[in-house]
Amino acid sequence: MVTPDLVSEEDIAKLTVPNDLPDEPSFKAYIEAKVYDKKGHLIQYHRQPMRSLTEYFLAIMSIPLIGTYQLGASNQATDILVNVLGLPSEQGSSANISWDWSIQLGSGTQSFSPTLTGLAAPIANGTGAGQLSYGTLSVSYAGTTIFVSVTVTNFTSSTVTVTEIGMMGTVYIQYSGSSVSSYNYLLSYDTLSSPVSIPGYGMAVFQITLSFTG
Amino acid sequence: MMVGKGIEDIDVAMPRDAYDTGKDTPTFNAYLTVIVRGPEGRVVKIHRQRSHSPTSNFIALILPLTFFKNGGSAPTLKNISGNTSGYGPALNSNAQCITYPASSTNRNTNLVMIQVGSGQQSNPYSAYTLAAPIANGSGSGQLAYGQPSVSSSIVVSGSEAYFTISQTFNNSSGGTVTINEVGIIMYLQTQFSSGSGYSTVGSLLVWYDVLSSSISVPNGGSVTIYYTFTVNP
Repeated sequence: MVTPDLVSEEDIAKLTVPNDLPDEPSFKAYIEAKVYDKKGHLIQYHRQPMRSLTEYFLAIMSIPLIGTYQLGASNQATDILVNVLGLPSEQGSSANISWDWSIQLGSGTQSFSPTLTGLAAPIANGTGAGQLSYGTLSVSYAGTTIFVSVTVTNFTSSTVTVTEIGMMGTVYIQYSGSSVSSYNYLLSYDTLSSPVSIPGYGMAVFQITLSFTG
Repeated sequence: MMVGKGIEDIDVAMPRDAYDTGKDTPTFNAYLTVIVRGPEGRVVKIHRQRSHSPTSNFIALILPLTFFKNGGSAPTLKNISGNTSGYGPALNSNAQCITYPASSTNRNTNLVMIQVGSGQQSNPYSAYTLAAPIANGSGSGQLAYGQPSVSSSIVVSGSEAYFTISQTFNNSSGGTVTINEVGIIMYLQTQFSSGSGYSTVGSLLVWYDVLSSSISVPNGGSVTIYYTFTVNP
Protein backbone atom coordinates (compact mmCIF):
# COMPACT_ATOMS: atom_id res chain seq x y z
CA MET A 1 0.00 0.00 0.00
CA VAL A 2 1.32 3.45 -0.88
CA THR A 3 -0.25 6.44 0.77
CA PRO A 4 0.36 10.13 0.24
CA ASP A 5 2.68 11.88 2.60
CA LEU A 6 1.06 12.64 5.87
CA VAL A 7 0.08 16.00 7.18
CA SER A 8 1.46 15.24 10.58
CA GLU A 9 2.81 12.08 12.10
CA GLU A 10 1.60 13.31 15.45
CA ASP A 11 -1.93 13.36 14.08
CA ILE A 12 -1.56 9.71 13.20
CA ALA A 13 -0.37 8.84 16.66
CA LYS A 14 -3.52 10.42 18.00
CA LEU A 15 -5.75 8.08 16.04
CA THR A 16 -6.53 5.96 18.99
CA VAL A 17 -9.23 3.62 17.75
CA PRO A 18 -7.95 1.24 15.13
CA ASN A 19 -10.70 0.08 12.82
CA ASP A 20 -8.97 -3.12 11.93
CA LEU A 21 -8.90 -4.66 15.38
CA PRO A 22 -11.55 -6.12 17.65
CA ASP A 23 -12.63 -3.81 20.42
CA GLU A 24 -10.57 -5.44 23.09
CA PRO A 25 -9.61 -2.95 25.79
CA SER A 26 -6.08 -2.83 27.13
CA PHE A 27 -7.22 -1.91 30.57
CA LYS A 28 -10.28 -2.50 32.70
CA ALA A 29 -11.12 -0.91 36.00
CA TYR A 30 -13.98 -1.50 38.41
CA ILE A 31 -15.38 0.03 41.54
CA GLU A 32 -17.01 -2.27 44.05
CA ALA A 33 -18.77 -1.54 47.32
CA LYS A 34 -20.06 -3.99 49.90
CA VAL A 35 -22.25 -2.51 52.62
CA TYR A 36 -22.87 -4.21 55.96
CA ASP A 37 -25.40 -3.26 58.60
CA LYS A 38 -24.59 -2.95 62.28
CA LYS A 39 -24.99 -6.69 62.74
CA GLY A 40 -22.47 -7.41 60.03
CA HIS A 41 -24.96 -8.59 57.46
CA LEU A 42 -24.25 -7.72 53.86
CA ILE A 43 -27.11 -5.49 52.73
CA GLN A 44 -25.87 -4.01 49.45
CA TYR A 45 -23.39 -4.93 46.77
CA HIS A 46 -22.51 -2.40 44.11
CA ARG A 47 -20.17 -2.82 41.18
CA GLN A 48 -19.59 -0.55 38.22
CA PRO A 49 -16.92 0.16 35.65
CA MET A 50 -14.48 2.86 36.60
CA ARG A 51 -14.25 5.29 33.75
CA SER A 52 -12.44 8.40 34.68
CA LEU A 53 -8.71 8.54 35.21
CA THR A 54 -7.09 11.95 35.40
CA GLU A 55 -3.96 13.28 33.74
CA TYR A 56 -2.23 12.93 37.11
CA PHE A 57 -2.66 9.16 36.99
CA LEU A 58 -1.11 9.18 33.54
CA ALA A 59 1.77 11.34 34.80
CA ILE A 60 2.55 8.97 37.68
CA MET A 61 2.25 6.03 35.30
CA SER A 62 4.87 7.66 33.10
CA ILE A 63 7.56 7.12 35.76
CA PRO A 64 7.85 3.33 35.32
CA LEU A 65 7.83 3.90 31.55
CA ILE A 66 10.18 6.82 30.93
CA GLY A 67 11.79 7.39 34.32
CA THR A 68 12.34 10.71 36.04
CA TYR A 69 15.27 12.15 34.04
CA GLN A 70 14.63 14.09 30.88
CA LEU A 71 16.29 12.81 27.74
CA GLY A 72 19.15 14.92 26.50
CA ALA A 73 19.22 17.20 29.52
CA SER A 74 21.55 16.95 32.45
CA ASN A 75 19.81 16.22 35.74
CA GLN A 76 16.46 17.67 34.71
CA ALA A 77 13.15 16.00 35.49
CA THR A 78 10.89 14.96 32.62
CA ASP A 79 8.59 17.61 31.26
CA ILE A 80 5.59 15.54 32.33
CA LEU A 81 6.69 15.55 35.98
CA VAL A 82 7.39 19.28 35.91
CA ASN A 83 4.49 20.46 33.74
CA VAL A 84 1.73 18.14 34.92
CA LEU A 85 2.63 17.23 38.48
CA GLY A 86 4.37 20.51 39.24
CA LEU A 87 7.41 18.76 40.68
CA PRO A 88 10.78 20.53 40.87
CA SER A 89 12.94 20.17 37.78
CA GLU A 90 16.11 19.49 39.72
CA GLN A 91 17.32 19.00 43.27
CA GLY A 92 20.65 20.13 44.61
CA SER A 93 21.36 17.08 46.69
CA SER A 94 20.46 13.47 46.07
CA ALA A 95 16.77 12.71 46.07
CA ASN A 96 14.36 9.92 45.32
CA ILE A 97 10.69 9.64 44.44
CA SER A 98 7.87 7.39 45.54
CA TRP A 99 4.08 7.57 45.71
CA ASP A 100 1.09 6.29 47.55
CA TRP A 101 -2.61 5.95 46.84
CA SER A 102 -5.75 6.24 48.91
CA ILE A 103 -9.51 6.14 48.37
CA GLN A 104 -11.67 9.18 49.07
CA LEU A 105 -15.47 9.05 49.23
CA GLY A 106 -17.83 11.93 48.73
CA SER A 107 -21.47 12.97 48.85
CA GLY A 108 -21.56 15.32 45.86
CA THR A 109 -21.34 15.05 42.10
CA GLN A 110 -19.53 17.00 39.40
CA SER A 111 -18.63 16.71 35.75
CA PHE A 112 -15.43 14.87 35.00
CA SER A 113 -12.35 16.55 33.67
CA PRO A 114 -8.87 14.98 33.44
CA THR A 115 -7.60 18.01 35.34
CA LEU A 116 -9.97 17.64 38.30
CA THR A 117 -8.18 18.03 41.61
CA GLY A 118 -10.72 16.87 44.16
CA LEU A 119 -14.14 15.45 44.91
CA ALA A 120 -17.17 17.74 44.90
CA ALA A 121 -18.03 17.08 48.53
CA PRO A 122 -15.50 14.83 50.28
CA ILE A 123 -16.76 12.87 53.26
CA ALA A 124 -14.43 13.68 56.12
CA ASN A 125 -12.65 11.08 58.20
CA GLY A 126 -14.23 11.07 61.62
CA THR A 127 -17.02 9.93 63.87
CA GLY A 128 -19.27 12.98 63.66
CA ALA A 129 -22.48 13.48 61.74
CA GLY A 130 -22.03 12.90 58.03
CA GLN A 131 -18.54 11.54 58.52
CA LEU A 132 -17.01 8.12 57.99
CA SER A 133 -14.08 6.58 59.77
CA TYR A 134 -11.58 5.48 57.09
CA GLY A 135 -9.71 2.30 57.94
CA THR A 136 -6.32 1.18 56.73
CA LEU A 137 -5.86 1.01 52.98
CA SER A 138 -5.12 -2.37 51.48
CA VAL A 139 -3.22 -2.88 48.23
CA SER A 140 -2.50 -6.18 46.54
CA TYR A 141 -1.86 -7.44 43.03
CA ALA A 142 -2.25 -10.57 40.95
CA GLY A 143 -0.41 -10.55 37.65
CA THR A 144 -1.26 -7.26 35.95
CA THR A 145 -4.25 -6.52 38.17
CA ILE A 146 -3.97 -4.25 41.21
CA PHE A 147 -6.59 -4.14 43.98
CA VAL A 148 -6.99 -1.11 46.24
CA SER A 149 -9.55 -1.23 49.03
CA VAL A 150 -10.57 0.61 52.15
CA THR A 151 -13.07 -0.12 54.92
CA VAL A 152 -15.14 2.76 56.22
CA THR A 153 -17.29 2.71 59.34
CA ASN A 154 -20.24 4.89 60.19
CA PHE A 155 -20.08 5.52 63.94
CA THR A 156 -23.22 7.64 63.98
CA SER A 157 -26.87 6.62 64.13
CA SER A 158 -27.65 8.33 60.82
CA THR A 159 -27.15 6.97 57.34
CA VAL A 160 -24.24 8.35 55.32
CA THR A 161 -24.74 8.30 51.56
CA VAL A 162 -21.83 7.99 49.13
CA THR A 163 -22.32 9.30 45.59
CA GLU A 164 -18.76 9.84 44.35
CA ILE A 165 -15.41 8.11 44.72
CA GLY A 166 -11.89 9.09 43.86
CA MET A 167 -8.47 7.55 44.06
CA MET A 168 -6.06 10.03 45.57
CA GLY A 169 -2.32 10.01 45.06
CA THR A 170 0.53 11.50 47.03
CA VAL A 171 3.97 11.83 45.48
CA TYR A 172 6.90 12.02 47.86
CA ILE A 173 10.31 13.43 47.07
CA GLN A 174 12.71 12.32 49.74
CA TYR A 175 15.94 14.27 50.09
CA SER A 176 19.32 13.43 51.46
CA GLY A 177 18.88 13.40 55.21
CA SER A 178 15.38 11.97 54.82
CA SER A 179 13.37 15.17 54.74
CA VAL A 180 10.32 14.76 52.53
CA SER A 181 8.16 16.98 50.31
CA SER A 182 4.73 15.70 49.41
CA TYR A 183 2.37 16.58 46.55
CA ASN A 184 -1.28 15.53 46.36
CA TYR A 185 -3.37 14.67 43.30
CA LEU A 186 -6.70 13.23 42.27
CA LEU A 187 -5.94 10.13 40.18
CA SER A 188 -9.49 9.06 39.30
CA TYR A 189 -12.99 10.38 39.73
CA ASP A 190 -16.29 8.59 39.32
CA THR A 191 -19.83 9.27 40.37
CA LEU A 192 -21.59 6.10 41.48
CA SER A 193 -24.30 4.87 39.13
CA SER A 194 -26.54 4.59 42.20
CA PRO A 195 -25.86 5.98 45.68
CA VAL A 196 -24.39 3.67 48.30
CA SER A 197 -25.99 4.20 51.70
CA ILE A 198 -24.13 3.16 54.83
CA PRO A 199 -26.59 2.79 57.71
CA GLY A 200 -25.90 4.00 61.23
CA TYR A 201 -23.23 1.87 62.89
CA GLY A 202 -22.75 0.02 59.65
CA MET A 203 -19.66 -0.29 57.52
CA ALA A 204 -18.65 -0.65 53.89
CA VAL A 205 -15.73 -1.90 51.91
CA PHE A 206 -14.87 0.02 48.75
CA GLN A 207 -12.51 -1.56 46.27
CA ILE A 208 -10.96 -0.24 43.07
CA THR A 209 -9.62 -2.86 40.68
CA LEU A 210 -7.13 -1.77 38.03
CA SER A 211 -6.44 -4.40 35.43
CA PHE A 212 -3.66 -3.70 32.93
CA THR A 213 -4.55 -6.62 30.76
CA GLY A 214 -5.79 -6.96 27.23
CA MET B 1 -18.32 -5.81 64.29
CA MET B 2 -19.10 -9.15 62.72
CA VAL B 3 -18.87 -9.23 59.01
CA GLY B 4 -21.53 -11.33 57.37
CA LYS B 5 -21.10 -14.25 55.04
CA GLY B 6 -19.89 -13.88 51.52
CA ILE B 7 -22.10 -12.20 49.04
CA GLU B 8 -22.84 -15.43 47.28
CA ASP B 9 -24.96 -16.52 50.23
CA ILE B 10 -27.10 -13.45 50.41
CA ASP B 11 -29.92 -12.34 48.23
CA VAL B 12 -28.93 -8.82 47.31
CA ALA B 13 -29.87 -7.03 44.14
CA MET B 14 -27.14 -6.92 41.53
CA PRO B 15 -27.09 -3.65 39.60
CA ARG B 16 -27.20 -4.06 35.87
CA ASP B 17 -23.81 -2.51 35.34
CA ALA B 18 -22.25 -4.98 37.73
CA TYR B 19 -21.98 -7.54 34.99
CA ASP B 20 -18.88 -7.64 32.90
CA THR B 21 -20.26 -7.49 29.39
CA GLY B 22 -16.86 -7.09 27.83
CA LYS B 23 -18.16 -4.00 26.10
CA ASP B 24 -17.24 -1.42 28.67
CA THR B 25 -15.47 1.64 27.49
CA PRO B 26 -12.00 1.29 28.92
CA THR B 27 -10.73 4.16 30.96
CA PHE B 28 -7.18 3.60 29.79
CA ASN B 29 -5.72 2.43 26.52
CA ALA B 30 -2.32 2.08 24.97
CA TYR B 31 -1.76 2.03 21.22
CA LEU B 32 1.07 1.27 18.88
CA THR B 33 1.35 3.19 15.64
CA VAL B 34 4.03 2.17 13.17
CA ILE B 35 4.82 4.30 10.12
CA VAL B 36 7.11 2.82 7.49
CA ARG B 37 8.77 5.03 4.89
CA GLY B 38 10.48 3.96 1.70
CA PRO B 39 13.91 5.10 0.51
CA GLU B 40 12.41 8.31 -0.88
CA GLY B 41 10.70 9.17 2.37
CA ARG B 42 7.19 8.36 1.27
CA VAL B 43 4.93 6.55 3.65
CA VAL B 44 4.52 2.97 2.47
CA LYS B 45 2.68 1.45 5.42
CA ILE B 46 0.79 2.49 8.51
CA HIS B 47 0.14 -0.12 11.15
CA ARG B 48 -1.97 0.50 14.23
CA GLN B 49 -2.84 -1.87 17.02
CA ARG B 50 -3.73 -1.87 20.65
CA SER B 51 -0.87 -2.32 23.04
CA HIS B 52 -1.63 -4.82 25.75
CA SER B 53 1.32 -5.74 27.77
CA PRO B 54 2.98 -4.27 30.82
CA THR B 55 5.68 -6.55 32.14
CA SER B 56 6.14 -7.61 35.75
CA ASN B 57 8.84 -4.94 36.00
CA PHE B 58 6.24 -2.27 35.29
CA ILE B 59 3.81 -3.71 37.83
CA ALA B 60 6.52 -3.77 40.53
CA LEU B 61 7.37 -0.13 39.87
CA ILE B 62 3.81 1.23 39.72
CA LEU B 63 2.74 -0.26 43.09
CA PRO B 64 2.16 2.37 45.79
CA LEU B 65 3.98 2.63 49.12
CA THR B 66 1.05 1.14 51.04
CA PHE B 67 1.60 -2.17 49.29
CA PHE B 68 5.18 -2.34 50.59
CA LYS B 69 4.29 -0.83 53.98
CA ASN B 70 1.83 -3.67 54.54
CA GLY B 71 4.52 -6.23 53.89
CA GLY B 72 3.73 -6.92 50.27
CA SER B 73 6.36 -8.48 48.09
CA ALA B 74 6.54 -6.99 44.62
CA PRO B 75 7.65 -8.91 41.55
CA THR B 76 11.44 -9.14 41.43
CA LEU B 77 12.94 -6.69 38.98
CA LYS B 78 14.84 -8.43 36.21
CA ASN B 79 16.99 -6.40 33.84
CA ILE B 80 17.63 -7.19 30.20
CA SER B 81 20.78 -9.09 31.14
CA GLY B 82 18.76 -11.36 33.40
CA ASN B 83 20.10 -9.93 36.67
CA THR B 84 17.52 -9.56 39.42
CA SER B 85 16.97 -6.91 42.09
CA GLY B 86 14.48 -6.55 44.90
CA TYR B 87 12.44 -3.38 45.08
CA GLY B 88 10.84 -2.00 48.22
CA PRO B 89 10.43 1.76 48.41
CA ALA B 90 9.57 3.42 51.72
CA LEU B 91 9.78 6.72 53.53
CA ASN B 92 12.75 6.19 55.79
CA SER B 93 16.47 6.76 55.71
CA ASN B 94 17.31 3.26 54.53
CA ALA B 95 14.72 3.12 51.79
CA GLN B 96 15.76 2.86 48.20
CA CYS B 97 13.38 4.60 45.86
CA ILE B 98 13.62 5.66 42.22
CA THR B 99 16.23 8.38 41.80
CA TYR B 100 15.02 11.94 41.27
CA PRO B 101 17.16 14.40 39.26
CA ALA B 102 19.77 16.09 41.38
CA SER B 103 22.71 18.17 40.22
CA SER B 104 25.12 16.64 42.69
CA THR B 105 24.55 12.99 41.92
CA ASN B 106 23.72 12.37 38.26
CA ARG B 107 22.11 9.01 38.94
CA ASN B 108 19.80 8.72 36.01
CA THR B 109 16.54 6.89 35.81
CA ASN B 110 15.43 7.44 32.25
CA LEU B 111 13.93 6.10 29.07
CA VAL B 112 16.54 4.17 27.11
CA MET B 113 14.71 3.32 23.92
CA ILE B 114 11.89 1.66 22.15
CA GLN B 115 13.51 -1.60 21.17
CA VAL B 116 12.45 -3.66 18.18
CA GLY B 117 12.96 -7.34 17.55
CA SER B 118 12.44 -10.07 15.02
CA GLY B 119 11.17 -12.75 17.40
CA GLN B 120 8.19 -13.10 19.66
CA GLN B 121 7.24 -14.62 23.01
CA SER B 122 3.89 -15.63 24.38
CA ASN B 123 4.05 -14.40 27.98
CA PRO B 124 4.72 -10.65 27.99
CA TYR B 125 4.24 -10.38 31.76
CA SER B 126 7.34 -12.40 32.50
CA ALA B 127 9.39 -11.07 29.58
CA TYR B 128 12.54 -9.22 30.60
CA THR B 129 14.08 -8.87 27.17
CA LEU B 130 12.87 -9.10 23.62
CA ALA B 131 12.95 -12.58 22.14
CA ALA B 132 15.33 -11.55 19.34
CA PRO B 133 16.38 -7.90 19.60
CA ILE B 134 17.42 -6.20 16.37
CA ALA B 135 20.84 -4.70 16.94
CA ASN B 136 21.65 -1.04 16.44
CA GLY B 137 23.81 -0.71 13.34
CA SER B 138 24.02 -0.88 9.60
CA GLY B 139 24.98 -4.50 9.23
CA SER B 140 22.81 -7.20 7.79
CA GLY B 141 19.56 -7.50 9.73
CA GLN B 142 20.29 -4.39 11.76
CA LEU B 143 18.57 -1.02 12.12
CA ALA B 144 20.11 2.31 13.09
CA TYR B 145 18.30 3.44 16.24
CA GLY B 146 17.43 7.14 16.46
CA GLN B 147 16.92 8.94 19.75
CA PRO B 148 13.63 8.26 21.54
CA SER B 149 11.30 11.17 22.08
CA VAL B 150 8.59 11.84 24.66
CA SER B 151 5.72 14.35 24.59
CA SER B 152 6.67 17.56 26.32
CA SER B 153 3.49 17.33 28.34
CA ILE B 154 0.26 15.41 28.62
CA VAL B 155 -2.21 16.60 26.02
CA VAL B 156 -5.72 17.16 27.37
CA SER B 157 -8.62 17.23 24.92
CA GLY B 158 -12.08 17.12 26.48
CA SER B 159 -12.10 14.21 28.88
CA GLU B 160 -9.20 12.54 27.08
CA ALA B 161 -5.55 12.91 28.04
CA TYR B 162 -2.53 11.25 26.45
CA PHE B 163 1.19 11.28 25.90
CA THR B 164 3.39 9.57 23.34
CA ILE B 165 6.79 7.94 23.18
CA SER B 166 8.32 7.62 19.73
CA GLN B 167 11.50 6.59 18.00
CA THR B 168 12.69 6.31 14.41
CA PHE B 169 14.85 3.50 13.03
CA ASN B 170 16.71 3.68 9.71
CA ASN B 171 17.54 0.70 7.58
CA SER B 172 20.95 0.86 5.90
CA SER B 173 21.51 -2.85 6.12
CA GLY B 174 21.34 -3.62 2.43
CA GLY B 175 18.18 -5.70 2.77
CA THR B 176 14.68 -5.68 4.20
CA VAL B 177 14.48 -5.93 7.99
CA THR B 178 11.34 -7.42 9.55
CA ILE B 179 10.00 -6.37 12.96
CA ASN B 180 7.75 -8.68 14.96
CA GLU B 181 8.06 -7.38 18.53
CA VAL B 182 8.43 -4.03 20.27
CA GLY B 183 9.25 -3.04 23.83
CA ILE B 184 10.02 -0.04 26.02
CA ILE B 185 13.32 -0.12 27.90
CA MET B 186 13.84 2.07 30.98
CA TYR B 187 17.09 2.46 32.95
CA LEU B 188 16.62 2.40 36.71
CA GLN B 189 18.75 3.45 39.62
CA THR B 190 17.55 3.63 43.20
CA GLN B 191 18.73 6.14 45.76
CA PHE B 192 19.08 5.71 49.52
CA SER B 193 17.19 8.39 51.40
CA SER B 194 20.23 8.88 53.59
CA GLY B 195 21.97 10.20 50.51
CA SER B 196 25.04 8.05 50.92
CA GLY B 197 24.29 5.22 48.60
CA TYR B 198 22.53 4.10 45.51
CA SER B 199 21.98 1.00 43.51
CA THR B 200 21.95 0.39 39.77
CA VAL B 201 19.21 -1.96 38.66
CA GLY B 202 20.00 -1.46 34.98
CA SER B 203 17.89 -1.50 31.85
CA LEU B 204 14.43 -2.92 32.35
CA LEU B 205 11.88 -4.05 29.81
CA VAL B 206 8.71 -2.41 31.16
CA TRP B 207 6.28 -2.80 28.25
CA TYR B 208 6.21 -5.43 25.52
CA ASP B 209 4.08 -6.15 22.48
CA VAL B 210 4.08 -8.66 19.70
CA LEU B 211 2.90 -6.98 16.50
CA SER B 212 -0.35 -8.31 15.11
CA SER B 213 1.35 -8.47 11.71
CA SER B 214 5.02 -8.25 10.78
CA ILE B 215 6.46 -4.91 9.68
CA SER B 216 8.97 -4.95 6.84
CA VAL B 217 11.34 -2.02 6.61
CA PRO B 218 12.86 -1.74 3.11
CA ASN B 219 16.54 -1.08 2.62
CA GLY B 220 17.11 2.67 2.63
CA GLY B 221 13.81 3.23 4.37
CA SER B 222 12.84 3.96 7.93
CA VAL B 223 10.23 3.12 10.50
CA THR B 224 8.85 5.33 13.27
CA ILE B 225 7.12 3.71 16.22
CA TYR B 226 4.71 5.61 18.45
CA TYR B 227 3.44 4.36 21.78
CA THR B 228 0.40 6.38 22.83
CA PHE B 229 -0.85 6.09 26.42
CA THR B 230 -4.26 7.60 26.88
CA VAL B 231 -6.97 7.89 29.52
CA ASN B 232 -10.67 8.23 28.73
CA PRO B 233 -10.23 7.77 24.97
